[in-house]
Amino acid sequence: MTKAIYALYDDDEVMVNGAKAILAKNVRIKDVYSPFPIHGLENVLGIKWTRLAINAFLYGFTALALALAGMSFFMIQDWPMNIGGKPNFDLYQNLPAFIPITFEFTVLCAAHGMAITYLIRNWTLPGVKARNPHPRTTDDHFAIEIDRTENAGVSDDEIKSILQGTNPVEIFEK
Amino acid sequence: MEVPSEYPEVGFMPLMCQHCNHAPCETVCPVAATTHSDEGFNQMTYNRCIGTRYCANNCPYKVRRFNWFNYVADSKFTNLNPAQDDLSRMVLNPDVVVRSRGVMEKCSLCVQRVQAGKLAAKKASEPLRDGAIQTACSAACPTNAITFGDINDKSSKVRTDAMNDRAYHLLEEVGVKPNVWYQTKVRNSMQTAAEPTA
Amino acid sequence: MQKESAIREPLILGDKTYHQITEDVCAPVEGKANKYWYMAFSVAVIVALWGVGCILYTIGRGIGVWGLNTTVDWAWDITNFVWWVGIGHAGTLISAVLLLFRQKWRMAINRSAEAMTIFAVMMAALFPGIHMGRIWMAYWVFPLPNQFGSLWVNFNSPLLWDVFAISTYFSVSLVFWYIGLIPDFATIRDRAVKPVSKMAYSVLSFGWTGNAKAWIRFEEVSLVLAGLATPLVFSVHSIVSMDFATSVIPGWHTTIFPPYFVAGAIFSGFAMVQTLLLIARKVLSLESYITVKHIEYMNIVIVITGSIVGVAYLSELFISWYSGVEYEGYAFMNRATGPYWWAYASMMTCNVIIPQLFWFKGIRRSLITSFILSIFVNVGMWFERFVIIVTSLHRDFLPSNWGMFHPTFVDVGIFLGTIGIFFVLFLLYSRFFPVLALNELKSILKSSGDNYKKLHHND
Ligand code: SF4
Repeated sequence: MTKAIYALYDDDEVMVNGAKAILAKNVRIKDVYSPFPIHGLENVLGIKWTRLAINAFLYGFTALALALAGMSFFMIQDWPMNIGGKPNFDLYQNLPAFIPITFEFTVLCAAHGMAITYLIRNWTLPGVKARNPHPRTTDDHFAIEIDRTENAGVSDDEIKSILQGTNPVEIFEK
Repeated sequence: MEVPSEYPEVGFMPLMCQHCNHAPCETVCPVAATTHSDEGFNQMTYNRCIGTRYCANNCPYKVRRFNWFNYVADSKFTNLNPAQDDLSRMVLNPDVVVRSRGVMEKCSLCVQRVQAGKLAAKKASEPLRDGAIQTACSAACPTNAITFGDINDKSSKVRTDAMNDRAYHLLEEVGVKPNVWYQTKVRNSMQTAAEPTA
Repeated sequence: MQKESAIREPLILGDKTYHQITEDVCAPVEGKANKYWYMAFSVAVIVALWGVGCILYTIGRGIGVWGLNTTVDWAWDITNFVWWVGIGHAGTLISAVLLLFRQKWRMAINRSAEAMTIFAVMMAALFPGIHMGRIWMAYWVFPLPNQFGSLWVNFNSPLLWDVFAISTYFSVSLVFWYIGLIPDFATIRDRAVKPVSKMAYSVLSFGWTGNAKAWIRFEEVSLVLAGLATPLVFSVHSIVSMDFATSVIPGWHTTIFPPYFVAGAIFSGFAMVQTLLLIARKVLSLESYITVKHIEYMNIVIVITGSIVGVAYLSELFISWYSGVEYEGYAFMNRATGPYWWAYASMMTCNVIIPQLFWFKGIRRSLITSFILSIFVNVGMWFERFVIIVTSLHRDFLPSNWGMFHPTFVDVGIFLGTIGIFFVLFLLYSRFFPVLALNELKSILKSSGDNYKKLHHND
């Protein structure tokens, strides 16, 4: 027996209305597949907003501290040099010269850290197999996924008839 | 000033690295290949140089020289560079390393002589005597126009010379605080300095 | 559903559906290249190979094969570097800054503009590398641990700031671009019929699935990356300008440089985007997506940034006189009237005077004049960098150091070569990558598409 039942739509508004109708009937939706981001869908499905931005901040903050610590170690503690008669005795005096690199390093780590977290969280990495149910969900179709195990109390036929009521172009199992 | 003949009042001026205390060439090197030594020299670390030539651009006196080619082997310089044949190679100073292609170089104020002089004084356990160290140029000048010495030594000749009325820094207004002083030329002329002759 | 005022011109023309957008954008990837593409590609490859040859010759023989001398230690190398970095500013500006400002018109051009950015920054990054006397020691610019323990780099050097700025800018732009590309690669993957391309695009699309949570993360990442990339865009050229601004050379030592360079970079970047897209929209038949309105928007950016640059030129002149510094005054007199007056004149004409024509609506909406003017801007901006670098160096403090710069065939070859490499990359990109941001375009189709706008207007 297949795990999930899918309803395929050819318009985002129809799909969003369909999702609302399905949820109203107390059927749980596992996921939705779409070719582009649909605004407001997270409220319909009750998905919590991602915390990736907090991650980025943390990466950036770590990088900022690391850059300043690194530069003051390299230039002030480890091997202080007289370069062009510029004061090289403490971080405070040297700070103006360190700002560009501190900034760049912060951005570098925040951006890359976030991108890597994003790829791992989405499990989109080179060599990973795609899991979208229908090839046209990356083109112009939208799919709602209903997991049987999540809806143990509702029979297949009931699910299908509810789905049928939402104007899908196709219903299939996979 | 584009036409020199309109300003015939010229003087000869040896111009080498001024060993600026606020050397603009040092701050711009990305790999810290040129820094200040404790003696106050602007020192050039040839084997750290990666050849960005930024220092040469930023030197107001334009005294840095770049090794554009591999002069000891490049066929273009066979007739110019004695170092390319075994016998003439002996003219090269064995105390000075041959700089490779792609690195910057400049006057080091004969750092090899300074080190040797310091070492000799140390071995003899006596303080460095003024005039004990001569750079190649100060040793060679027949009229003693070039004086080398320790500016911190109050009694040194170079100190007295640098403090007299004729002493000045070249391009003082740029603010790089050079360690080299020049003596202004005293001219026996009817004109005041401001108006050009001719 | 967000509605847009009916007065706004539609951004997507014609009777498009989601599927039609996919078809239009995938057509160049799935179809065969025509003979113009092959012709352009062969020319680009030949020029690129010539450039590679010149680069190898330089590395083999020494920097002396360029026209540099003790007076002018930087010339075409750094001119080209700054020129390419400048060009590389438009892409990230379009996709990041315009994203933050919610300018929907960016969506039709951001993908290609960013591709252009990435290729341009690659070309730019080449020059600091090959201009080094000892390129094989280039890794020394990174603070790497080594056997000497205490041997580190000089964090006071603007050149080192450059290293960090350029590598950050390049890698962040690349990531930003690629994250946007992943869903579009997935579209091509799911449509591919040939096993080889199916395989290739499967790998490229990283197994993108497009479920609701993934899209939420996608939007968040795009937004935050845009937020990070925006100050980055402004910082990169500011830092490049500090190479000059922190020096002591008259003509370089100028506090106006950071904002002036940033404006110039956006100016030249948009001009290059304009040049490329005017060709691409024709060749790849994307007229309904890159509309005259898009061209007009870009021309408006060009005329504004061009005017900023013009004001900067004039204030430089004024300040050089007003400051009363002789060296400064002479440097600028010499720029305008000295041996390189022709470079200064070309710069002024191409950057300040000619773009002013874009105040006329007819000129700004015409494809042909837009194309011609964008070429002028590209040329003018090259001259700007040449003027700043070479004319400042060739006459500085002491007249005994004055000299001239004469390019050799190697200088010319490397410059042309990078243009060749750039076009090779761009042409390959236009064949194998989705040149428009599919997923973004689809999300604005209902609010800004021509047919939908008419529909809403009627009800
Ligand atoms: S004269 Fe030039 S090379 Fe010598 S220390 Fe001064 S700036 Fe550096």
